[in-house]
Amino acid sequence: MQADIAATPVKAVKVTFTAGFSRRYTDSIREFEVQAKNIRGVIRAMNELFPGLGETLEEETSIAIDGVIHEVDYTQPVKPGSEVFFIPRIEGG
Amino acid sequence: MLTNTKDIEQVMKVVGTSPVRPDGVPKVTGQAQYGADYSLPGMLWAKVLRSPHAHARILSVDTSKAAALPGVKGIILGSDFPDHPFDYVGPERVAQNYWHMTRNIMAREKALFEGHAIAAVAATTLAIAAEAVSLIEVKYEVLQHCIDVEDAMKPDAPLLFEDMITRGVEPAPSKPSNISKRLEFSVGDIAAGFASADEVVEMSFKTAAVHQGYIEPHSCLARYGADGQCELWSASQGHFVVRAYTAKLVGMEIGNLLVHPAEIGGGFGGKTVVYVEPMAVLLSRKTGHPVKIMMSREDVFKSTGPTSGSSMTVKIGVKKDGTIVAAEGLFKFQAGAFPGSPVMNATMCAFAPYIIPNVKSVGFDVVSNRPKSAAYRAPGSPISAFAVESVLDILAKKIGMDPLKLRLKNAVKAGSPTAWGPKHSHDGYAETIQALLDHPQYNKPLGKNQGRGVASGFWFNGGGESTASVHINEDGTVVIATGSMDVGGSRASMALMAAETLGVPYESVRSTVADTASIGYNHVTGGSRVTYATGIAVVEACNKVIEDLRLRASLMWDTDIKNVVWSDGYAKPVDKSVGNFEPLSLKAIAGKRAVTGGPIGYEASTNAGGQAPGFSTQFVDVEVDPETGAVKILQFVAAQDVGRAIHRDYCAGQIVGGVVQGIGWALNEEYIYDSKGRLSNAGFLDYRIPVASDLPMIEAVLVEVPNPSHPFGVKGVGEANIVPPMAAIANAIENAIGRRMTELPMSPPRVLAAIDAG
Amino acid sequence: MSKHHVTTVINGDPVEFLCQPNVSLLDVLRDELNMTGTKEGCGTGDCGACSVTLDGRLVCSCLVLGVEAQGKSIQTIEGMANGETLHVLQRKFLEHAALQCGICTPGFLIAARSLLERNNNPTEEEVRFWLAGNLCRCTGYNNIITAVLEAAREMRGA
Repeated sequence: MQADIAATPVKAVKVTFTAGFSRRYTDSIREFEVQAKNIRGVIRAMNELFPGLGETLEEETSIAIDGVIHEVDYTQPVKPGSEVFFIPRIEGG
Repeated sequence: MLTNTKDIEQVMKVVGTSPVRPDGVPKVTGQAQYGADYSLPGMLWAKVLRSPHAHARILSVDTSKAAALPGVKGIILGSDFPDHPFDYVGPERVAQNYWHMTRNIMAREKALFEGHAIAAVAATTLAIAAEAVSLIEVKYEVLQHCIDVEDAMKPDAPLLFEDMITRGVEPAPSKPSNISKRLEFSVGDIAAGFASADEVVEMSFKTAAVHQGYIEPHSCLARYGADGQCELWSASQGHFVVRAYTAKLVGMEIGNLLVHPAEIGGGFGGKTVVYVEPMAVLLSRKTGHPVKIMMSREDVFKSTGPTSGSSMTVKIGVKKDGTIVAAEGLFKFQAGAFPGSPVMNATMCAFAPYIIPNVKSVGFDVVSNRPKSAAYRAPGSPISAFAVESVLDILAKKIGMDPLKLRLKNAVKAGSPTAWGPKHSHDGYAETIQALLDHPQYNKPLGKNQGRGVASGFWFNGGGESTASVHINEDGTVVIATGSMDVGGSRASMALMAAETLGVPYESVRSTVADTASIGYNHVTGGSRVTYATGIAVVEACNKVIEDLRLRASLMWDTDIKNVVWSDGYAKPVDKSVGNFEPLSLKAIAGKRAVTGGPIGYEASTNAGGQAPGFSTQFVDVEVDPETGAVKILQFVAAQDVGRAIHRDYCAGQIVGGVVQGIGWALNEEYIYDSKGRLSNAGFLDYRIPVASDLPMIEAVLVEVPNPSHPFGVKGVGEANIVPPMAAIANAIENAIGRRMTELPMSPPRVLAAIDAG
Repeated sequence: MSKHHVTTVINGDPVEFLCQPNVSLLDVLRDELNMTGTKEGCGTGDCGACSVTLDGRLVCSCLVLGVEAQGKSIQTIEGMANGETLHVLQRKFLEHAALQCGICTPGFLIAARSLLERNNNPTEEEVRFWLAGNLCRCTGYNNIITAVLEAAREMRGA
């Protein structure tokens, strides 16, 4: 039988919300740490903590991954140790 | 003028030039068809009855006399539209509430602003439709109204909605009000921050509502068939969005509505929403004929969304060396008759160009009896910037620091924090300031009653959904299509990016805008997103085509695809060992397409992210006439980080255009209401936008700090340029005559009053 | 109200139409004659998008009644190019990016041609004041002025 290989701990992804959003949807908690390789994973993790939150995140927010703004896209990769900030969706004129 | 701030790695062949645009000849010969230029056989004309009252209950509407007029084919009221549940859906910042939206299209229980649509008539001639409108009898119970945002917030203000409870306040208020929402962004500890400041300035400001002022009134033509299929020709900033809104408001499936993109005569954000389209579609369905509606200029001013008026207080604290230590802003915005002012943008953008450890930014969205506000070029940001950039100027003077150097000292760059959370992701702001510091005219001496002012501005810029298709014609020319309405030459920019990617001459690329049935989804032409996001889709489609061209060439040469490269518009063998093959042009490969797999073409779609925000820094020299209070613009220099200019002239054109709108906003434009809440200046004579004789040549400085997330380094250019001008001009006036203007517009009577006040 | 029969010349061609006495020339051009190159921006003579010339005089066609065209000669944007050959002003507008959305462009071209027919060497200030009756919301006027000055230069043979 092969010896168990000790798993290397993977750095968590930091997830942050604005104060207003967190008051409405995450019991005023603004920061979370989750394990995820892409945005799909981040949303799944947040939805497990707050059922129904996933859909809200998809519909209502854009994201900033280490500061770079993206639309919410399941396939968008997220590196370990990244910060994913859910911000109000932006529209212009 | 170009300021290269980083090495441009690639040598561009066509990107960065300024060729003539594909829709140019149609537009200079009058052939191009805008929203009002379409007609169909059997077409009816529609006219709209609008409320003469700013606030009234609608007790009854009697259309019988109108219906009896020969030539009248159909009449609709608000109740003919399906109703929607009261629910805010979608992104908080731009939440849609279809209960509100359907009532904005046409009133139901109440008329909430002068100009609110009550009924619409379709008739065989415009004259008959107009006469029919005058025969509709409406009984109103006129109510007290409120316009100004402070008035609308007072506890005894007349309520537009008896059940409006302010969102964003905990615990929720027990009484209704006109305050739709409160929001806040804060970071750090502002009390401690201000305590540590050497100088603190707090000041209050007011701005009036201004209209986007597009020269083309809203117009459309609808043809609804007996099979439930409808075609709509509409001038808008986004025909897919028009399709979605119109279908939902009328109660039909999106797939049954085909929207043709008419050319658009200006939008600036005001044509990202619908007004006449649902009415035209419903009337066409009811009458069985095509229906055309064109708004009058008066209707445009009275009934379509201008941007908000505001009441603001801003407080900023700095150290003697110019470090900004704390900033606080209170922003109260008029939303118009239904919630949805751009106050959230304003609270987020206000302090965004600066690294400030302690910030508190609070916004209120307030309804009042005016048309519902709509987006206007960097919505919200120009308004809060007027306050913030004015206060910064006062502080610069207090500590004896050049105002550009004060901004440079605190300028954000990649990695700098924001008040709303994530870090800034791109450089570019400091480079725009430096471009002005280096400008030969910045230190030019000025004369009597002359002054110089500076200001900066920030805008997010958008990404989002776009689709593009690229096809190779049988003769090797290229046709590309997107769903992005062309407001300022984007067809040319798309063609430039395609030509550069494929390695072919610009002249061989046809660039078109396709209807909603002929291309995949494209979000609006707005938010400075098209060159960025639609450009990405175009390049991706071209890259797919290139892969296929390599495959075709490999089949023609009977070799493996890895032996073929695409270079400078030709398929070439990777090296001599592959064989003695002449390069194959698009024409040569297209000629053999049938045996190598058939027609050559691909579509690519994207939900683009990674866009960079826009930063603009500007200086203006003015001369104030002490006898009339008139302010003359002597010189205006606007620097903006555009990432990379795809079409240099159109890029500069966006900057100049936005600056001139800002000049109008600063010096003359405002909505003037009488005591009954009716608009006194609903026309271009008295709603005075800048004319050619008001202005000198405006100078645009293109700063290029490329965005690595875009294949050509593009950053959106359309909007950031309108953010600084009002504060820059206020600062210049203060420099000229020592008077601080805190209210917009700074029209001659106001400036004169400030001079006389001493 | 019964319609009047009007005989006129438009862009050098004889044209007849019927219109009621209270209808503007702009509405006749666009809705009766399907000449939609002339645009309505305001309907009250404030924006210049409907500019045409009437017996050589620059007018807002929204302020002229259709019946006033009787016996007169009208020039609209549709008559500016000569077949496939653009007028020098049209060429310069394209070369100098003097349009963004283009809705004001027909009015500006008609107005600019009218200026250059009277004054073939205008100063920048003269161009700005002559064109002050034409509103543009997109361009800020820079490139329009440049295009007109360049067209004047070429027309002078300078």
